[in-house]
Amino acid sequence: MPARARFGLCVAAVLGTSLSAQIATDLVEKRRADFHTQATDADMKREGGTQPRDWNYDLPGGVTTRQITFYVDGGTPLYGKMFFPRGFTKTGRWPAVVVGHGINALSIGIEKYGARFADRGLVAMAIDYQSYGFSGSGSDDLRLLEADTTTDARTVTGTYSRVLVKRTNLNNVHEVEDFRAAVSYLQGEPGVAADRIGIWGSSNAGSVVIAVAAADARVKAVVSQVAGAPPSTRGPAPIAAPMLDDGIRRARTGQGAEVDGGFSFKSKVDMWSTQRNRDVRPGSSLDQIPPTTHILFLPAENDELSGRGGLGAVAATQYLMEHGGSAQTIIYPELTHFQAYSHTGFDVGSTLAADWFLKYLGSGTPARSTATSHEGRR
Amino acid sequence: MKMGLLLATIALPLTAFAQARPVALPDGVTAKEVKFFSEGVQCAGRIFLPKGFTADGKTSAVVLAPGWGDTAATIEKYAARFAGRGLVAMAIDYRGWGRSGGFLYLADPVRWDDRLRFSQHTAKVRIRRKRLNPEAQTLDIRNAISFLQGEPGIERARIGVWGTDEAGGHAIVVAATDVRVKAAVAQVPVVDGKDVPRKAFAPSPEQQAAMVKLARSGTAPATLAAAAAMNDQEARLALAEYHPFWYADAIPVTTAVLFVVAEKDLKVNNDANAVAASKLIKGPNGVTVVPGAGHALATPGAFDAAVDAAAAWFQKYL
Repeated sequence: MPARARFGLCVAAVLGTSLSAQIATDLVEKRRADFHTQATDADMKREGGTQPRDWNYDLPGGVTTRQITFYVDGGTPLYGKMFFPRGFTKTGRWPAVVVGHGINALSIGIEKYGARFADRGLVAMAIDYQSYGFSGSGSDDLRLLEADTTTDARTVTGTYSRVLVKRTNLNNVHEVEDFRAAVSYLQGEPGVAADRIGIWGSSNAGSVVIAVAAADARVKAVVSQVAGAPPSTRGPAPIAAPMLDDGIRRARTGQGAEVDGGFSFKSKVDMWSTQRNRDVRPGSSLDQIPPTTHILFLPAENDELSGRGGLGAVAATQYLMEHGGSAQTIIYPELTHFQAYSHTGFDVGSTLAADWFLKYLGSGTPARSTATSHEGRR
Repeated sequence: MKMGLLLATIALPLTAFAQARPVALPDGVTAKEVKFFSEGVQCAGRIFLPKGFTADGKTSAVVLAPGWGDTAATIEKYAARFAGRGLVAMAIDYRGWGRSGGFLYLADPVRWDDRLRFSQHTAKVRIRRKRLNPEAQTLDIRNAISFLQGEPGIERARIGVWGTDEAGGHAIVVAATDVRVKAAVAQVPVVDGKDVPRKAFAPSPEQQAAMVKLARSGTAPATLAAAAAMNDQEARLALAEYHPFWYADAIPVTTAVLFVVAEKDLKVNNDANAVAASKLIKGPNGVTVVPGAGHALATPGAFDAAVDAAAAWFQKYL
């Protein structure tokens, strides 16, 4: 493709106006003054994280919820909060989306997206990743404090023992698996159409959802907010000397150095997390995303964490479009990273995300015809 | 072919123990047991030190990884011989195998609070063993590299990886994902994926049903039968997505990769695995054929030939 045509495609992807397989962006134009107000009003500043008042929401009329447990990696229990739309029926064929929180955060901060998606007719499930919030710690985060006397003569041994439970193990490899287990859970939910599953992730999870799309073709629609996945090369990530020393310490003592982690929710995390997360570089696996998985990037123009101008998202969108994929980038004008989660950022962002999911997953149907109405009578 | 390997492993789970014998140490070679952590699990390794090894020197070192369903005991003979050729060699047991600890799960939930990052409890636990999880195994190899790098007398910048059978594929994956690996040897390797396009996994209806079942009811199993069934189901799903072949072209040009194959291997098609993968390696590479040998390298002279090829490769590139 000539350079000029490529540039044209890129601009079209950003403006989202001229390519048919995309959603309308006039809402952004219509709300431009509100974006400007949010960007300039002192009370709406969000430096260094969201605030508890940003997490509150009223459950929309007719939307119902259920707290559930699902499992990953051979028995680790994870927490999900499901939101069911008005008119939901267990005999229908409803689209469903997994909603995943950002770096070192909690699902309670993003439940309101689940509520909004359900208000728009989607089944939604907000999850805590393993070792966070209401989710359990996995076998990577549990350590026996007594000698392990089990042998290969037994595939499982039940016993009482002293154990060390580790929390907030920030690990994008785990998060990819957690998203995929949530997709599996939704596929088995009565009333959910197993071939209409989407995923939504913000900030760090905005990168993770792209990696999930590259790993699992069951995901048909993806929304990646305030993140980007610029194309990058494959191969091993470099390891800086302090990290290499920390890896040695981990292998010899079971625990390496800790550093402060998180923004809206803060805790200590392993210093090694930064290194481990480089095993998940979604920009290096964009070519694995099938054309049947549709990606919407929602970057913020003045994002101080993920990069300004949405450049990483634009580059990923351009790459996907040039390689037979389906993607769009819509930029929140003037907003910073954490402003995406409140006020106009939330209103517009959740609306565009729901538009995307409904376009590519389809609307729910209350009851399946013929064959399944029979099933419904049983 | 792949499924056949898996089934054979499950049908004969204890062959590794049956074959385990004390390893003869070459002249001047010493061995010691070590424990290393792979994530939360304490794993076992056996380190073989060459004659004249000193803690203030800078000796090259190699991690050796056992094959599918095997333990360190089956490959210590290689480690001993590598030490006889001047290398530090560490044979490992994966998590949940051999002398390593198992995968830990809480059978009854405990209350935690994320503000308390570490908490100690007395709890009902279930410890799972004999899971075949390629992702976990490659991480075990990488954590063993970390342990070796902290061993006095080791040159951190000269680390190699050796794997046999399925772990031959692991050696390719680790060389492509861990920048510390400078040389790799894949022996009679299963390098699956040549005919699978590098695309997101699209499960079959049966696979999808299994994934749904694990996500909705996959608590840590309580009985031996349930655990064995879950091991089998997890391994099938993991293998369906595990394609070391995809990693061959992502290995840095500075990493040297040798494939050692058995001429009469009936388990692995050498052309579709090692030979095809070798063509994608950007850096120094080669394929050494052990004449007349089968997958087990049990014919006369086969073991020696395989040892010689690998040791020479490590000596040259480390």
